[in-house]
Amino acid sequence: MPDNLSLYIERDSPLQRLNPLTKLAISFSLILIGFLGPGYWLATLLFICVLVPLSIWGKIGPEFLQRTVRLILPLALFLFVMQSLFYPGGRTVLWRFWIFSVKLEGVQFAYLTATRLMNMVGAFLLLLLSTHPSTLMTDLTRRGVSPSLTYILVSTLQIIPQMRNKANTIIDAQRSRGLETQGSVRARIGALLPLVGPLVFGSLVDVEERAIALEARAFKAKRVKTSLIHVPDSVRQRQVRIGLVVLTLVMIGIRLWPL
Amino acid sequence: MSMRIAIENLHFTYPSGVVALRNVTLAIEAGEQLAIIGQNGSGKTTLIKQLNGLLRPSQGTVRIGDWLTTEHSVAKMAARVGYVFQNPDDQLFKGTVRDEVRFGPGNLGFPAEKIELLVQQALTLLELTDKADVNPYDLTATWRKRVAMAAVLAMDTPIVIFDEPTTGQDYQSVQRLAQIFQTLHEQGKTVIAISHDIDFVAENFSRIVVMGQGQVLLDGPAQTVFAQAEVLNSTDVEPPQLTRLGQRLAIGPVVYTVENFLAALRKENDMQGER
Ligand SMILES: Nc1ncnc2c1ncn2[C@@H]1O[C@H](COP(=O)(O)OP(=O)(O)OP(=O)(O)O)[C@@H](O)[C@H]1O
Ligand SMILES: [Mg+2]
Repeated sequence: MPDNLSLYIERDSPLQRLNPLTKLAISFSLILIGFLGPGYWLATLLFICVLVPLSIWGKIGPEFLQRTVRLILPLALFLFVMQSLFYPGGRTVLWRFWIFSVKLEGVQFAYLTATRLMNMVGAFLLLLLSTHPSTLMTDLTRRGVSPSLTYILVSTLQIIPQMRNKANTIIDAQRSRGLETQGSVRARIGALLPLVGPLVFGSLVDVEERAIALEARAFKAKRVKTSLIHVPDSVRQRQVRIGLVVLTLVMIGIRLWPL
Repeated sequence: MSMRIAIENLHFTYPSGVVALRNVTLAIEAGEQLAIIGQNGSGKTTLIKQLNGLLRPSQGTVRIGDWLTTEHSVAKMAARVGYVFQNPDDQLFKGTVRDEVRFGPGNLGFPAEKIELLVQQALTLLELTDKADVNPYDLTATWRKRVAMAAVLAMDTPIVIFDEPTTGQDYQSVQRLAQIFQTLHEQGKTVIAISHDIDFVAENFSRIVVMGQGQVLLDGPAQTVFAQAEVLNSTDVEPPQLTRLGQRLAIGPVVYTVENFLAALRKENDMQGER
């Protein structure tokens, strides 16, 4: 279905109308600051005080939270279990059972890693949920980024949902031919080839068709192209972007040359 | 064991919230030749995916013989219901046509001799014998479609379903397809096809189900279905040209093939001659 080919949710909100480059700057600076910035609570604070309010501003609050949690929760659980039990050099034992002991250092490390990942996933999701891929592509191209590069960027963002749809159809077709895809490990491994074959071949066919379609629309033409979609931008947004870049550079600087 | 299909009060809603089927009740006897027509998005594909359990009812039941689709895996259902997908490239993965055709019956666990026999028959039926050792992807799309059909027919299921079998096929291939449907009919199999090719449907199917907005609007032989121009119009189906011509000429019964058009026309002329 075309409607789930990208993560974009169509809503009328100021966030959706922001210039894609501004959102790109917000996402990347949040990610970098979350990872490099000082303090144990920083990533948590960024998520709660910046990302969540932004998503509510963009009228995509529930979807944003739901998807972030669904992506990050299994990973976080895994981190907590592994790190709290096996973190090397942990001394402060919080709790002990059988041969295991949960150490404070491990829990702290897991928390830090999990919140930083949550901040990163959240920042990406905010961008993807509020930005139509073609708007991003148009804007980047207009700014002189090579169309091939933006195409690669945007199509990578889209390829996962596309592949997932295709894979589901192929699995359905093979199950209809009596292929057992559930059950034993052997059955599952046996089911891989009939899936991967058509998936790879189908993708190759797609690539060829796509290349022709792009060429037919003068994708590689050297002239300056005008665009039907007008992507709004403003001086204020430019200032915000410069501010974000400076802030991020400062963070990196502090990290590299601590005072 | 008779492979009667019994669909009762079937409702289906996709996870996205789209209501695709509303209260469909349909009984299809073993050996029937049934075509499903209706506008894009009317729920045809959704309906036939219920028959082998690819989709399961939100409400209501689907029975194939004595099996409820909810109680068996799709792989098990494949022994009773063969399903030819619209796009052959969704299923082809073996290195040769013969291996591809062998895959389905192999999954069903038939003895080796039976598999070879079924493969041979399916290849012959689809005129693929001389292409048996070719890689399916070296064939054109039309021929790949035939390979996909052979691959399903070789499973020797009592019920065979086709989603849009005629798209992209030239006249000769469509004629061949009609012969294949006839052969399947003679073997006592139930044939169900979705098609937008109204002439093909008129000429080859004894029963037509018309769908619109997730419901069965009409169900019956061509004669009665094509008489309902208004209902057909509501789901963007145009009766065959011959039917419309016959109606404009007011030549009595509803006609839909060249033969019954000519017969009706002669009768009309005779009657006028007598007057
Ligand atoms: N995987 C899906 N998820 C959500 N909605 C779907 C899905 N597949 C189909 N639909 C919707 O269900 C409805 C029925 O679709 P279906 O594919 O059964 O129609 P169809 O009669 O086969 O149409 P066509 O003639 O175009 O093949 C449509 O509104 C369609 O958008
Ligand atoms: Mg369909």
